[in-house]
Amino acid sequence: MTGEGTEVVVIPCSGIGKPYGTVARESAYDLCDDLRPGATRLVALAKLVLGEQEARERVRSCPVVTIDGCKLMCASRLVTHSGGQVTHEVAVLDVYRRHKELKPEGIEVLNDEGRKLARVLAEEVAVAVDEIRRSGAPSGAGHA
Amino acid sequence: MTEYLETTADKFTFRVAVDRFYTQEGVWALRLQPEFPSRVRVGITDFLQQRSGDVAFLSVKATGTRLQAGDELAEMETVKVNLSLHSPVGGTIVEVNKALEPSPEIVNQAPYGEGWLAVIETTSWEQDRARLVDAPAYMAVMKSEVAKEVEAR
Amino acid sequence: MPSAVKAKVGIVSCSGEEIAEGTVARLATLKVLHELRPTKTVTICLPLFLAGGDQDREFARHHPTITVDGCDQRCAARGTEMYSARPAASIVVAHVAAAAGLPRPEGRRCLDDAGKRVVTLVAERMARLVDELLDDGQGPPR
Repeated sequence: MTGEGTEVVVIPCSGIGKPYGTVARESAYDLCDDLRPGATRLVALAKLVLGEQEARERVRSCPVVTIDGCKLMCASRLVTHSGGQVTHEVAVLDVYRRHKELKPEGIEVLNDEGRKLARVLAEEVAVAVDEIRRSGAPSGAGHA
Repeated sequence: MTEYLETTADKFTFRVAVDRFYTQEGVWALRLQPEFPSRVRVGITDFLQQRSGDVAFLSVKATGTRLQAGDELAEMETVKVNLSLHSPVGGTIVEVNKALEPSPEIVNQAPYGEGWLAVIETTSWEQDRARLVDAPAYMAVMKSEVAKEVEAR
Repeated sequence: MPSAVKAKVGIVSCSGEEIAEGTVARLATLKVLHELRPTKTVTICLPLFLAGGDQDREFARHHPTITVDGCDQRCAARGTEMYSARPAASIVVAHVAAAAGLPRPEGRRCLDDAGKRVVTLVAERMARLVDELLDDGQGPPR
């Protein structure tokens, strides 16, 4: 699927054991609700665990961006496991390393630094989304 | 092939490599014999990396640094804690694991293997070793720590 | 067979991001893990069932597990049964809200008042289930 009308699927890991998972979730909301609402579609990772048909078809037919909390990269691995191709993947941990002053804390409720980190990450991924839609080709995997 | 002792608490399994010595803090020392009998490779235990969480930043002292046993060897920052790691032996750092610079998470992924921190040319191995514990003794230390953490919650 | 330092109940949450009920499931799980039953529960990560979490799968096989889902798709309950073992108990947020006569929660990022009340109800229900499961080791007390 190509072109600027392409909807980019966004899948966060939403890991529940660490603040990074909450940052991944929040940044996905920032991206899909605020920054690129018409260009993205949020898909729940749990659906891929289940092998839900509609979710599998989406990741196979649309460019996919995954946002993982840590280097286990569950969202990225599950997209591949489901037959999709990850067009762009990002780990919160890597973004945090570039913004050391934004140490995220809290899992239920993120601290201010965590909220800012989520926003920074969302803005970076928004640029990647724009590029994906401009280039129109979900080939290979880009990293952040 | 490294052999391990294992213990499980809740869903977590902790491994202790049997072929090396340990500080109570959770730093291991593996003698590099027979090739380099006066050198040890050092790293952190599986228990310490699991308890500390994902390593975000790691700074190991530079090659050429002289240390005594107990001196700071590295600083490690995870999402949960900032830790100072102390050298199990005295000597001079002759090698630092460069793979950790771009990817400190290797410490979490392979704490007894690719996640090693440094190689130290020791000055008094027998003396330093007497202050370390072997794998079964470290396993006992670790189980005690796990039990304390569970009780404290 | 893993040996637990203390008997615990595993909790698997769907954490579904698409709808508010998924956020309710997540927050209710965190409330139980951190406030209501911190020494009796452990979180099991659903994606790790497939992404390489032997520990999570094994725990759910050998310990009682409660699943919390936002909606009738029941991703957590079905995924747990598919990859590990049948959960001892299963909660669906939408059902809890309906049974309490509450409107459907809104606000997947920031829950409305109905959503916050459902979080409390679901968390309390989960806490009672944890107590039941650990008291008699039987299940499922659905």
